[in-house]
Amino acid sequence: MLLKFSLYACALLVLVSALSVPVFLLHASMPFWQAAGISSIWGREWYPYEHLYGLLPAITGTLWSIFIALLIAIPCGICAAITASELLPRHLAEKARIGMEVLAGIPSIVYGLIGLWVLLPFLQAVFDMLTGHSLLAAGLMLSLMILPTIMLMSMDALQQVTREQREAGQSLGLDWSTQLTRVLMPQAWPGMRSGILLALGRALGETMAVMLVVGSLDRLPQPFYNILQPAQTLTSRIGREIGEAAFGSIHFSALMAAGLMLAMMGLTISLLGKR
Amino acid sequence: MNLNRSLPCTPMESGANKIVSAQPSLCLCNVSLQLDGHAILGEISLHMPQTGITALIGPSGAGKSTLLRCINRLHDGWQGSIELGGQSVRETDVDSLRRQIGLIAQKPAVFPCSIRDNVIFGLPNQQRKSVSDESIRQVLEQAALWREVETRLNDDADTLSVGQQQRLCLARALMLEPSFLLLDEPTSALDPRSRDMIEHSLQSIASQIPLLWVTHDLEQAKRISERVIFICDGRLIEQADASDFFSRPERMESREFLRWNVCDCD
Repeated sequence: MLLKFSLYACALLVLVSALSVPVFLLHASMPFWQAAGISSIWGREWYPYEHLYGLLPAITGTLWSIFIALLIAIPCGICAAITASELLPRHLAEKARIGMEVLAGIPSIVYGLIGLWVLLPFLQAVFDMLTGHSLLAAGLMLSLMILPTIMLMSMDALQQVTREQREAGQSLGLDWSTQLTRVLMPQAWPGMRSGILLALGRALGETMAVMLVVGSLDRLPQPFYNILQPAQTLTSRIGREIGEAAFGSIHFSALMAAGLMLAMMGLTISLLGKR
Repeated sequence: MNLNRSLPCTPMESGANKIVSAQPSLCLCNVSLQLDGHAILGEISLHMPQTGITALIGPSGAGKSTLLRCINRLHDGWQGSIELGGQSVRETDVDSLRRQIGLIAQKPAVFPCSIRDNVIFGLPNQQRKSVSDESIRQVLEQAALWREVETRLNDDADTLSVGQQQRLCLARALMLEPSFLLLDEPTSALDPRSRDMIEHSLQSIASQIPLLWVTHDLEQAKRISERVIFICDGRLIEQADASDFFSRPERMESREFLRWNVCDCD
């Protein structure tokens, strides 16, 4: 009885915690929504001293950096997982796993410093840019950070395909590529998808590394596909300005609204990913 | 020079062998296998006729399942010679070999798709698109599953019971028109009714192609098989017609196994 009660209590705590985040953000951002209105979501200007709180550049920057990161990390992570899980000898696969686990455990500020030191000069030289700060730099940085999560979870998912299933496919004379696409991938996909969603969560919430390489410039890319320009993301905006905003001010509330947008984007993408 | 092909592979030279077939469908000659330094199979030589059920019996760990996996090359590190229809399995493309040799495992493994898609799973892409409903019906009838699934071919295969899934695996193997079937205790996890249905289906299939059936169940071996191969500790002890083996086993190990279900072959 006590055990069941404890279990229900824990489950309730999880539910309340999950619900309290958006409720808190909505409550904290309410002064902003009342003052600036919903139209600030597509506003292009962000000058807190002039009470301009357009969120569109930061939303666009966030979507672009995540898109670039996923575009690189999903195929690379899954292909690396297939190679490690299905092609490499077991001892080499284990070494690859350990390497990825180490990468996954590195604090994000370290990635940011590496980005500053290596990535920005590289992009500056290759694309003849002023500083290298750009959406591309943020996307590449994020892709490196989420790659281990996608690879490790994809490896686990592939290794969970049972021997019976594998032998059933082999016994039907399926060649390796057919076995991969028709037996292994369909069964490993739910696990891989979980890895991608988890990585997406990390990419969405990443602040420090992105803040150091994205440029933090509040403008929309011109043209919209120009990822070589400095930009802003929701996390870097919050990270940079939360210390300057007076508690209870509209500016503070606007940053809470940026947090709410981030949470909404994460929820929407997760729901779309589960379909 | 291919040493394997020069090895003797005739019924007369294979030791304790009473099965004489003019054209053996499957011929194993001195097949040995070592895994991690341990001998799993030791110089097994045997022959199988063109049709009928041959029961492969022996205590747990005797190497029965391993032997099946050597035949369709799921294990590929064996020494010796295995010939199917007169051709070395080593010289046959492994994928086409496995299409010729169906394998039904102890635990049914259906794929996460519809019953219909499971039946045609092993066909090449082009054939999968053009396969007729009649062909699907035929193999499901052969596997004694048609009546139970004819109205639900598009349902997920995992909605079937374990016995039905095992028959679905049989239908899937039959769809490839194999020339040989390997059965690794296909009924051991099934209820008596499902077991009887599978036995009945396989007995009718055995009139067309040879079946090598691993079983622990001596009663089942007696009931279904025309021939028996008895192996213990990775070595062939005796192969004989089923009636002879069960009534007058030649080897002491065979008599012990029939009586006590244990084998001390050291």
